[in-house]
Amino acid sequence: MLTLQLRADVGMLLLLVGALLTLLGLPPAVVAVYAAGRRARELEAARAAWADDRRRFLQRLDHELKNPLTALRAGLANLASLSVGPERDTAQASVEAQLTRLNRLVGNLRKLVELEQRPLERVPADVGELLTEVVDLAIEPPDRQISLTLLQAPWPLPPASGDRDLIFLACYNLVDNARKFTRPGDAIEVRAFEDGRWIAIEVADTGPGVPEEDRSHVFEELYRGDNARAVEGSGLGLALVRAVAWHDGGRVSVRSREGQGTAFTLRLPQTRPT
Amino acid sequence: MDRTRVLLVDDEKAITNNLAPLLERAGFAVAVASNGEKALQKTVAFAPDLIVLDVLMPKLNGREVLRRLRQQGDWTPVILLTQVGESTERAMALEEGADDYLNKPFDPHELIARIRAVLRRRGQSPGEKPLAMADRLRARDVTLDRPARRVEREGQALELTGRAVALLEYLMLHAHEVLSRERLLDAVWGWDYPVATRAVDARVVELRSALDDDPDAARLIETVVGQGYRFVAPVEADL
Repeated sequence: MLTLQLRADVGMLLLLVGALLTLLGLPPAVVAVYAAGRRARELEAARAAWADDRRRFLQRLDHELKNPLTALRAGLANLASLSVGPERDTAQASVEAQLTRLNRLVGNLRKLVELEQRPLERVPADVGELLTEVVDLAIEPPDRQISLTLLQAPWPLPPASGDRDLIFLACYNLVDNARKFTRPGDAIEVRAFEDGRWIAIEVADTGPGVPEEDRSHVFEELYRGDNARAVEGSGLGLALVRAVAWHDGGRVSVRSREGQGTAFTLRLPQTRPT
Repeated sequence: MDRTRVLLVDDEKAITNNLAPLLERAGFAVAVASNGEKALQKTVAFAPDLIVLDVLMPKLNGREVLRRLRQQGDWTPVILLTQVGESTERAMALEEGADDYLNKPFDPHELIARIRAVLRRRGQSPGEKPLAMADRLRARDVTLDRPARRVEREGQALELTGRAVALLEYLMLHAHEVLSRERLLDAVWGWDYPVATRAVDARVVELRSALDDDPDAARLIETVVGQGYRFVAPVEADL
């Protein structure tokens, strides 16, 4: 009798433990199945976005290559039919110009690839000194008013943390970009300040502005908005700025009003005050 | 007088077909190999004074060819043509004993200039193991431990950025040569951009300050006005 009771008790106990384990185990299992489904959907979405990016990039690359290649073919045809003289010199110069253009495109693509693999160099970089150099270089020709403001209060700008050469490249590209998209007489303001966490470097201009539909794309490789087609460039300048920002643990953003102007903001982590 | 013999190794016919005649016109006797295996054979048969070696090739890639040559104790000067300007690839090229390297796409006249520079440098100590094979370099009170990327002055380790160390390494391996900022950029940074020559100047300032080198009376790195920089101290392998 006792053994029977005991056996029943043990049975009940086992049942209870089993039920408890099931109860405990089930929700994570359900969550896991659900999460796996969500992960699969996220993966699928990421894959689709990646395929989209890739297709767009290849289309743009194809487009960037077509024009210089067409010009090269025409230039070579000219060279073949021209004898020595100024016309031949012109044709030769144009062929060389197209080669330079292709060279620059390949060089910039290489920089982008290399940025992803480059070991991080975290050295305090004096942003004020660096921006002074950038502005000095961009001031010629003096057909734009370029100004530099380095906020000094409540305290001087602390150094940014990152790779000085890369930060220089990014800032130069931003100012160069502002030059390209403004007209003579426009103002370009370069300013830097800190907000406790980031060093913000802003390059603002009174140019024509970026149309709303282009704003989310301006940092993509080889992207050109309709109003950017006529402007000479590799189409990789801002993509390099973004790559530098990501590489150094920062970020970059743009705000713009059509007909009024544009401001790009590069945020870099600051070195901790010692 | 016998012409200097250059072995040109690249699997891309379009490149060898154009470069070979150009090198011939520059006064070199040129042989061409289209892959790494043929390169090793021709190194024996043609006995070149210098090899221009592409990195990315079928069968045996350029780096492997270089490694085998050096393992056999063959110190024939080598200029590597790197495909991607990847910094690790360049660092490895130097560690495996390449005398110089050039990023594709390059200006063919730059290749000729580098061939002449390497021949001039190596011609001063023919048949000797090149400096590019040494793990440790010494110039005056400065030593550079290449695998450890460590620089010491009078036995004290210096704090330098990675790129400053790479620049010092390149300068020391090309001592007494005037190196333009553009060339240093291409070799050490792997980049070129219009304004970046200032990046070179900034690193030279960093090096000079760490090495306590006075630009007006340079013991190590001299500025050659309008041309670039030159490492003026004698450099030797530190065994």
